[in-house]
Amino acid sequence: MEFQLPEINLQLMAPEIFLFLWALAVMAFDVTTKRKSSSTAGNLALVGLAVTGVIMVFTDQGRGFGNMFFNDSMAVFFKVIFLAAAFMAIGSSFGLTHTRILNHRGEYFGLILLSTVGMMFLASSSELISLYIGLELTTIPLFVLAAFFKDDRKSVEAGIKYLVVGAFSSALLLYGLSFIYGLTGTTDIAQIRSILAHSAVAGFNPAYQESTPIMVMAVLAILGGIGFKLALPPFHQWVPDVYEGAPTPITAFLSVGSKAAGLVAFAKIMIMGLYDLYDPSKAPNDWGILVGVMAAAAMIVGNVLAIRQTNIKRMLAYSSIAHAGYVMVGMLALNSLGLASVGYYMFAYLFTNMGAFAIVALIEDRTGSCEIASYAGLSKTSPFLAISMTIFLLSLTGIPPLAGFFGKFYVFAAAIKMAETGSGLTWIYWLVGVGLVTSVFALYYYANVMRTMYFVETDSPLKVTMSPMAVAVIVIGVVGVVVFGLNPQPIVQFASDMPAALGALLP
Amino acid sequence: MQYYLMLAALLFVIGLFGVITRRNTIGILMSLELMFNAANINLVAFNRYISGDGLTGQIFAIFIIVVAAAEATIGLAIVLLIYRNWRGIDTDSYSVMKW
Amino acid sequence: MSDPGSVGIAFWILSAIVLISGLLVVSLKNIFHCALFLMLCLTGVAGIFILLHAEFLAAAQVLVYVGAVSVLMIFAVMLTSNLARKKIVQTNQNALVAFVSCVAFVVGALWLIKGTEVWKFATEALPANNTMTIGKLLMTEFMLPFEVVSVLLVAAMIGAIVLARGEEA
Repeated sequence: MEFQLPEINLQLMAPEIFLFLWALAVMAFDVTTKRKSSSTAGNLALVGLAVTGVIMVFTDQGRGFGNMFFNDSMAVFFKVIFLAAAFMAIGSSFGLTHTRILNHRGEYFGLILLSTVGMMFLASSSELISLYIGLELTTIPLFVLAAFFKDDRKSVEAGIKYLVVGAFSSALLLYGLSFIYGLTGTTDIAQIRSILAHSAVAGFNPAYQESTPIMVMAVLAILGGIGFKLALPPFHQWVPDVYEGAPTPITAFLSVGSKAAGLVAFAKIMIMGLYDLYDPSKAPNDWGILVGVMAAAAMIVGNVLAIRQTNIKRMLAYSSIAHAGYVMVGMLALNSLGLASVGYYMFAYLFTNMGAFAIVALIEDRTGSCEIASYAGLSKTSPFLAISMTIFLLSLTGIPPLAGFFGKFYVFAAAIKMAETGSGLTWIYWLVGVGLVTSVFALYYYANVMRTMYFVETDSPLKVTMSPMAVAVIVIGVVGVVVFGLNPQPIVQFASDMPAALGALLP
Repeated sequence: MQYYLMLAALLFVIGLFGVITRRNTIGILMSLELMFNAANINLVAFNRYISGDGLTGQIFAIFIIVVAAAEATIGLAIVLLIYRNWRGIDTDSYSVMKW
Repeated sequence: MSDPGSVGIAFWILSAIVLISGLLVVSLKNIFHCALFLMLCLTGVAGIFILLHAEFLAAAQVLVYVGAVSVLMIFAVMLTSNLARKKIVQTNQNALVAFVSCVAFVVGALWLIKGTEVWKFATEALPANNTMTIGKLLMTEFMLPFEVVSVLLVAAMIGAIVLARGEEA
């Protein structure tokens, strides 16, 4: 057997290396300065993320470490999302630095950065082992962060639930991946795809246009594993509890960063690796229709159960389940528009959701309450927060001309275009129909929050004093939602490079 | 080789059953270890019989062992927190809802 | 290369150990006994690895799982469970439903595995020197995950310390 040192090409992973070292520096700094200065660690973390972003501009695309590391345009796009999500999560954490994370500020910010490093490695892995390691490096710091309020029962419970669900879904995913390895003899995603496309002995038999039963089982296990990570029904029960219990900025990071990481894993394994099991030109769509059912269930369950919630974090948790459903509609549209629409959707969702959670975090810091009822009279005491929240909620609903509207628009357009090209794809129309109908439900519960803020009279309205960093995050969110809503073209342009990254395999 | 795969499937299901039914949090973590081990048996068996001149499966299994150990560490740290907060680690003592 | 369809007597003994102790892990009432049977079960898995010519992996399994993880579990049991010696019901009301669905799953999986004939068996043998080959592979082809997993261990270590340490410090 031959051993060769692969071409290492460290320059390609300069952003990851820098961010990792910076995370260690942030933690070391916080320990050595005896934790005196309250916001220095957070500021340092923000600077690190910004510098990483600058480094990414100068980083080439290409392969390093043999075939292990592939910095393609999809990786770059999602890395921007991860960095921005971490930036906004850290920005909205500043209210905690004096109080609940007082003794562990450095570790808190450092673990967020380490989780971001994991997401970035995940996005540029092109091989199952490094993909798995990246996924775990993403989630393990998040387990800790979810349980970070150590004397708050809800937070600890969120931590253990997230850990058990995360480990369980990893085990399920690994069990499925082990069969993929057994059927193809490789863990390289590109090779898996070429073996499945050309070889009749592996798990997929092109002659009969159908998967072998063992491959079906493997795909089911993988879908179960990723379904847990993306919180698609029937694997969604953990979401409300974890989202409610975790510290609010971490909830925001979970709902955007970790979700985007799950989407990348899905794209890598299911679309780059197992594309031939879902080829619209070869009729039976083995896993496509299953994911379609999960997406439809996500839209229905998320939107219907969100109506009943009185806690805004739980409401946003259910709404994030619904949004995962919408994104998966775009993911199923395997044309050049599909992945680009997913990218745009996540970009819009990033600004919208991070902004909304920043407001929730700010109000929770000042009042200790996450109940929707306590938002009564917000429009009188702090009109800025009320207007920003309204913009975010309208964008989540999908009202033009905000970014959320174009996200939904592109996703559904991509799905319909897909349904027109392939035969036996009429179920995609049903999926789009479910999406449109459930959007109306969504309007109801989002409007309920707006009604509370503007029209409910109360004797003791919220008095919120704002911190500059929280205002900055909210302003970034509002500007992002409005600007990319009025002018979606730059992001669409950026996102439309991604399908090329899949090796020009899409129609 | 099928026998090894069957052993792994049985072990996986035993772990699955444990995760669903255990009331003790440490019991759940133990059951998770069984599931990871089932995946490892699969990988090593495939490596032995399928991949020929390569050890990718065994390398994958090594990484899984490392990650599972790290996950168990965090899990047990959180178990300690649960114990501090509730004075007990049964799932229904701290949770109204089962995952 | 031996016939992939056959297994020796050692396999049956080891799988009996693994499965029986595995079952005891998920069904015994005393959580401390469960931890001990977990050690036995994981040792059995290490034996299976040796049968599959994965000597290094077997050693790693014994060191990491039996040596570290199980001991950690026992520590946690000792620290947290004042009920370590009492017999309490360890299963919840989901048991029956879970049992039925698990049996259904495993029957299906076993049937699929038995019926599958698509395996592409290799003709050449595994590399002779298992440990050396793994070491070289980790330093060449699989260097990236090897480095990233060390980042992961740093994160896990910091996280565990943050969570487990007392606030008065």
